[in-house]
Amino acid sequence: MRKIDVHNHVFDAVDQPGANWARVESMIEAAEWLGIETLCCSRPITGGAMAEIAEVRRANDAVLATMQRYPDRVRGFCFIQPGNGRLAIDEMQRCFDQGMIGVKLYNQFKYADPMVYPIAEKCIELRIPLLGHSAHLTDARSIAAQPMTSDSLEFCKLATRFPELILILGHINGGGDWEWAIKGLRECENVYLDTSGSVLENDTIEMCVRELGVKRILFATDQTMEGCVGKILSAQLSSEQREDIFWKNAHAIFARRTS
Amino acid sequence: MIIDINAFLGHYPFRRLPHNSARTMIELMDAHGIDSAVVSSLHSVFYRDAHRGNEDLFLETKDFGSRFVRVATVNPKYVSWRRDLDEAMDRWKMKAVTLFPAHHGYLLSDVECQQAIEEIVRRDIPLVLTQRLEDRRQRHHWDAAEDLEFKSVLELVRQHTKLRLALVNWIGLDGKRMAEAGLQGRCLIDFARLHVLLNKDVDKLISSLGITSIAFGTHMPFDYVGPSLVKLANLESNPAIDYPAVSWRNAARFFGLEGGD
Repeated sequence: MRKIDVHNHVFDAVDQPGANWARVESMIEAAEWLGIETLCCSRPITGGAMAEIAEVRRANDAVLATMQRYPDRVRGFCFIQPGNGRLAIDEMQRCFDQGMIGVKLYNQFKYADPMVYPIAEKCIELRIPLLGHSAHLTDARSIAAQPMTSDSLEFCKLATRFPELILILGHINGGGDWEWAIKGLRECENVYLDTSGSVLENDTIEMCVRELGVKRILFATDQTMEGCVGKILSAQLSSEQREDIFWKNAHAIFARRTS
Repeated sequence: MIIDINAFLGHYPFRRLPHNSARTMIELMDAHGIDSAVVSSLHSVFYRDAHRGNEDLFLETKDFGSRFVRVATVNPKYVSWRRDLDEAMDRWKMKAVTLFPAHHGYLLSDVECQQAIEEIVRRDIPLVLTQRLEDRRQRHHWDAAEDLEFKSVLELVRQHTKLRLALVNWIGLDGKRMAEAGLQGRCLIDFARLHVLLNKDVDKLISSLGITSIAFGTHMPFDYVGPSLVKLANLESNPAIDYPAVSWRNAARFFGLEGGD
């Protein structure tokens, strides 16, 4: 069965001369074995940093280099920080012109913050999805480490303001109360979610389908590659539902870009 | 044949678990080709008297023969744990002991825990240590249990040189340091949370501790069984891997089951 991984990453500065491609090569090898035909990759700047636009561009250059090296396997998501203002919009256009097919936000801003609105408007203009880091964290240490991480209600606020936006809540199993996150999306029909993350808990996928409908669920791994393939394979789904999640829903989203 | 060394039965106070009774877990195992599961009682983790959870586990599984390999939970801080252990091992034929120091309020280095481990060694039965039940980032505010730390395990095995240790649901294991601590040949590690493809976690452990150190485990019913089955399929595709050893034989040998000689 075909598979499109809508949430994965390039971690190293592979655009630089003499770069070490080992981690990218390992990801490609894993995708090959697991039958993942497309890896949607970004390179977010993490650790609570608000970087200058030059650093953001360098991060995206690594993704562009990976797209060039693996044109049949890797598609790019452009990492953007809303705080870079007009330069962030310019960077989106640069990424789009070089073939990227989506935008990735990390946790520099809550997604209901008006600073995010121009990014959302540009995504609507380009007809590309906006993938956002997310979690409903419940332990004090994690909240302190990521105070600006958005949960599903933040996504809903943005989606309500921009009903045409294709918004993807990242890694439902990336840590945090996933039951809370799913229930928080019930009322926001234009928010998709991706299935990635290192938590592999039983009933996540079934609950997503029960509460949100199968068409809003997108397969992804966020580097938990065999785990995230395995949980879709063993979830209680029909073969049609599995196919929707593994690739058809994502394919329909990306088809909008060129339609 | 597949033996799962990382499984639990019973209720969990912070989330509804599917497949958490013996009957429904067998249905799950049958649907995925898993022959046997090494199971502990979740009730034992949360009851004041852990041994009542052992009794629940025995009663729940006693009609299912070899499909379940029972593990007794000991709380060495609780009164009369030695007599309870006798009952679990001698009357209910449990095959190993597990400890939950974070949930039961002690450290592996505490004197009562050390006494329990001496008894486990004297009986020559394996000790099962689960690093965590679930991810702390989603914890209920009554759940204060921290993950077990690798360094405390290393300290334990250095002190008890004949202890046989099953480490289930772990990440962050350093095979070289485990080998230096003398764990080669006396540990069994499941790959429910390890990467087989990216990072090559399992390959690294095998190179340090040998193929006998690795076994199949899923962390059911908390987690899906599919992730570990995909990893097992990948290991099966590797001609350098002794697949029967990983899928069942190492577990059978370690827990003293039929066919493990």
